Amino acid sequence: MIGSTPEAAGQAERSWSLSFTVNGERHELAIQPERTLLEVLREDLHLTGTKGACLEGECGSCIVLVDGVPQNSCLILAPQMEGREVVTIEGLADGTVLDPVQRAFVDHGAVQCGFCTPGVVLSTKALLAGNPHPTYDEVRRGLEGNICRCTGYMKVLAAALAAARAGVADDASGQADRPRP
Amino acid sequence: MTEALELKSRLKDKGVFLAGGTDLVVGVAKGRLSVEHWIDLSGVPGLSYVREEGEELAIGPLATHAMLERSAFAPALAQAARTVGGPAIRNRGTIAGNLGTASPAGDVSVALLALDARIALVGSHGSRSVPIRDFFVGPGKTRIAHDELIQEVRIRRSADSAFLKLGKRQSVAIALVSAAVVRQRDGRVAIALGSVGPTPLRAARAEAHLALAGLAPEAIGEAASLVRAEVTPIDDHRASAEYRRAVSGVLVRRLLEQLAASSKPESPARA
Ligand SMILES: Cc1cc2nc3c(=O)[nH]c(=O)nc-3n(C[C@H](O)[C@H](O)[C@H](O)COP(=O)(O)OP(=O)(O)OC[C@H]3O[C@@H](n4cnc5c(N)ncnc54)[C@H](O)[C@@H]3O)c2cc1C
Ligand code: FES
Ligand code: FES
Repeated sequence: MIGSTPEAAGQAERSWSLSFTVNGERHELAIQPERTLLEVLREDLHLTGTKGACLEGECGSCIVLVDGVPQNSCLILAPQMEGREVVTIEGLADGTVLDPVQRAFVDHGAVQCGFCTPGVVLSTKALLAGNPHPTYDEVRRGLEGNICRCTGYMKVLAAALAAARAGVADDASGQADRPRP
Repeated sequence: MTEALELKSRLKDKGVFLAGGTDLVVGVAKGRLSVEHWIDLSGVPGLSYVREEGEELAIGPLATHAMLERSAFAPALAQAARTVGGPAIRNRGTIAGNLGTASPAGDVSVALLALDARIALVGSHGSRSVPIRDFFVGPGKTRIAHDELIQEVRIRRSADSAFLKLGKRQSVAIALVSAAVVRQRDGRVAIALGSVGPTPLRAARAEAHLALAGLAPEAIGEAASLVRAEVTPIDDHRASAEYRRAVSGVLVRRLLEQLAASSKPESPARA
């Protein structure tokens, strides 16, 4: 529960201790409670892969995974992350080996200026985790909260569908060539 | 929860309940709002549920739009939840927060109004249940007392329901007009609309007409024109009052036609 005692009201600087996991690593931070998750990720943890643009939930460039679920980090007050697991774009690659979703975005030219890319990649990642074989329309709907000013979306959609196919090829069930809806 | 209520009764107007923050944090970022003390509900365990209990659906204080989207209990509710923002907003925004914000454009609020939801409020002096018809007082204003919070929202099973929204684009768009219709199991039809008045509103005259005339095509036409006369939209930068009035009639007509088609006993199973 956030909320200092009434005695503390009016104090200019309030400090809040936050303990959470980012990309598998545990962090204990002392922060001001009104700061957003986006600010803490970028300014305190120097994870600048997560971008901020509109800062009001509209664009999706700040999307991270919270307990596996995509959420806008600009709308989250950092203390709300107590005990939670956050994954940012920096948490996807395994060393220098890109995640299949990242690989597909590179291969399909789905990255231009790159500002939207971390959010789009994480939205795609979560979409495929819940629905490994999405249709074109399901991908469109899954990415409807991510705005991209460069690509015109066609290559992004192609990359997301290709990542789904790659995921199928990767899984040992050997159903890579199964016809898809 | 008890701790949250205790903090609230101590802090009064200086303490603000925070759930998903999709309205509040935006309000602060835009400078519309300044908050001295946050009372964060989001970490309180056991409040994030949507469950069927016999003939009722119980919606917990931290239930999100994403959770309602997956519920088959009332089609209008799932359809309304599905139109809120984008997936990440639906993962975070709550139903209680949508009611608490009391925007005339609150999509789920409009569906809940047509469904005659009851809102359970709990405060330092105990709990009470408020029918949603009495809940909204004006834009951003509700019957929640300063020391109360939404403990649960409940609806009863209905025969059928549907929701439609017109926005400027297909997603992440506030409603220019939204509407929900419900056919109760006794045959009564309820109609609610959003973005056409200071709060989500019920179209009482159109409902009364349908109670007498049923869902025949002429009755639907008449109900749609009653709706156009009943709504009280305003002009703003998104749309004119005249346009909203016209769209209100169109949405209600389409929804009632859907209800009529699905209520014919000889009609084949709906796709
Ligand atoms: C980009 C974007 C797009 C959006 N699109 C839509 C849309 O299409 N349709 C739509 O309807 N809404 C939309 N919204 C608004 C928003 O997502 C919803 O209103 C949401 O349901 C609010 O829930 P929350 O948990 O985020 O509320 P918060 O911001 O945490 O709180 C909102 C209000 O409710 C109060 N509150 C919260 N929980 C309780 C409780 N248990 N008891 C009493 N009071 C409580 C808070 O004190 C506050 O006053 C959008 C928002 C954004 C940022
Ligand atoms: S910066 Fe968060 S959605 Fe745009
Ligand atoms: S690549 Fe530039 S915004 Fe998407």
